[in-house]
Formats: sequence, structure tokens, C-alpha cells
Amino acid sequence: MMSLAARSGAFSPYLQTTAFIVAGPLKPLVPSVVVKSEKFLIDPKKPFLCRETLSSQSPKTGPAVTVSINGRAGVRFAHTDIRVPDFSDYRRPEVLDPHKSSQESSESRRAFSYLVTGVTAVVGVYSAKTVVTQFISSMSASADVLAMSKIEIKLGDIPEGKNMTFKWRGKPLFVRHRTEKEIEAEAAVSLSELRDPQHDKDRVLNPKWVIVLGVCTHLGCVPIANAGEYGGYYCPCHGSHYDASGRIRKGPAPLNLEVPYYEFPDEETVIVG
Amino acid sequence: MALAKTVYNLLFRRTSTFAVTIMVGAVFFERVFDQGGDAIFEQMNRGKLWKHIKHNYESKEEE
Repeated sequence: MMSLAARSGAFSPYLQTTAFIVAGPLKPLVPSVVVKSEKFLIDPKKPFLCRETLSSQSPKTGPAVTVSINGRAGVRFAHTDIRVPDFSDYRRPEVLDPHKSSQESSESRRAFSYLVTGVTAVVGVYSAKTVVTQFISSMSASADVLAMSKIEIKLGDIPEGKNMTFKWRGKPLFVRHRTEKEIEAEAAVSLSELRDPQHDKDRVLNPKWVIVLGVCTHLGCVPIANAGEYGGYYCPCHGSHYDASGRIRKGPAPLNLEVPYYEFPDEETVIVG
Repeated sequence: MALAKTVYNLLFRRTSTFAVTIMVGAVFFERVFDQGGDAIFEQMNRGKLWKHIKHNYESKEEE
């Protein structure tokens, strides 16, 4: 049989016996008929602007090609040799049985999926926050710089009525132990007399101690303590007079002496910075 | 099952509540994770850290 088929040349396809008769896709039993349609809703002049205009370029007045009622629209080849893959390893245990309804377990499967998603997101948010915090904290001042930026002063060393100068962040720092008389005098000053109006109680935490930067607000000279017309500070460069609260009273300087941030951890010490 | 359903309907169903759940969960997770890590570190280094041996030196200085 095989030798006959081999010798028969061009006729061999017709001489072979087959188990299945398969209609090829190119040769339907009844040839298809082209139906002529009068109108195609095509506007060839319309420009292509979007998907909508593109789809209007195709005919849409029903099918242009049809087949008869017992003609074949498609061909299915009999692939009996292909096995359906087994996906059991990838399925959840609830849906392993194909004959059981999956709706009964849908609630728990869905909750589990969302739980996994949520936990992943929580860990992701935590990691992102940690990374961002690390990068930002690397920009802040290091511990040695922070330690240098503070100064601790023992107040017991400064007698009443005296002013002491310290170096703080490269600038002179005045710490003045005021007398009761000075405190009263500065508290009584009316704001209308001042060039830079600021009450004495806004410039001090404890009225006994005035802590200001010793930099004249005019051109940055260092004022002299316990000098000038108002008994506070006097700048020798251009003659600015400050009172015992460090406020500008006379001369070219525009602003009061600057008050840094400070705090009293106890009665005897002050930490500036 | 009932708990999963309740949690799903209450927290996971809407995107808004899901996002809020993640944020709040991240706050608590951070605290638990960081403090747990510190506790494990201190447990493994018990007796070597300064705060474990600090009292030995402090008492001498005061005397």
C-alpha cells in the first residue's frame, strides 16, 4: 500500500486512506458568495486624527462576504495528540476539583489575595520610609557639629551688674547679670520711644539675665559693655547706643541686638544654642 | 471564614480603606519591627552593652 502510494506520484494523496476526513480551510464545500453592497460608509477625505476616524474608514454596512447556510465558517482540526496541560500545581487547593463550584471558596481566596497584597504594601511603605529617612538624616548636622554649636555657661561666675563675653559659633556672646534697678528701668521704657519696638520681657526669659549676640546691627562691630548714654552697650565704630536690654536707642544701628535661643536647665547654668 | 469576609468587606473592598489600612498598618509594623529588632540585638549582646555594665562604673565614681 505504501509502495503503491509512493509510485503513484501526483495521485498519492487520493489513494491514501485516512481515519478522519478534514475539510481544509481554503476549500469550503460550498463556495462563498460575494454580496455586493450598494453603500460603504467611507469618507476617504476624512483625515486620520484618532482611532475613531480610523474606524470610520472601514466598511460597516453588514458583512461583505457570506457563506450558505450549510457551508462551513471555520474548520476544526482534530488534534487528539495534544494533551491539555495539568495546572494543578499552580491552582489553589480549593479549586483543584473542576466539578466543584468555585464560588463557595471565592470569599476566602479573595481575602487571602488582598491580605498578601496589603502585607507587601505595608513592608514596602516601611522600607521606602526607612530609605528616605536615612538619606534625609544624612544631610543634617553630625553629632560633633551639634556639640560645638552649644555653649554651657555657669551663671554663678558672673557677679551682679557685670557683663561677660563668650565665644559662641564664632561670634561674641554677651551675658549680663542685671541689677534690680536696671530691670525696673528697662521694664518701664515705653515702646513708643524705641526704634525697634520690643518689650523687655519679650527679650529675656529670666529678667536677671540678658543674653544677646555681641554684634552691632549696624555694621557688625563688637559693642562695649556698660558704656553709652543708656548704660547698656555702646558701639565705638559709629556710635550706636544700646540699653541694658540690648535695644537700640541712639545712633545708626537699625535693630536691637539679636537674642539667641537659650534655656536654663537649672538656676546656675544656661545653655545657649 | 467569617472573619476573612468581615475583614475583606470592611477594609479591603474599597481602595480608599485599603490604602488607609496599609498606612496605619505601616505605622504599627514599623514600631513592632524596630523595637523587635532592638530587643533581639540586646538579647544577643547581653552583658556587652554600655547600659548593661554602666552600673559597675557609676557606683565607683560616687564612692
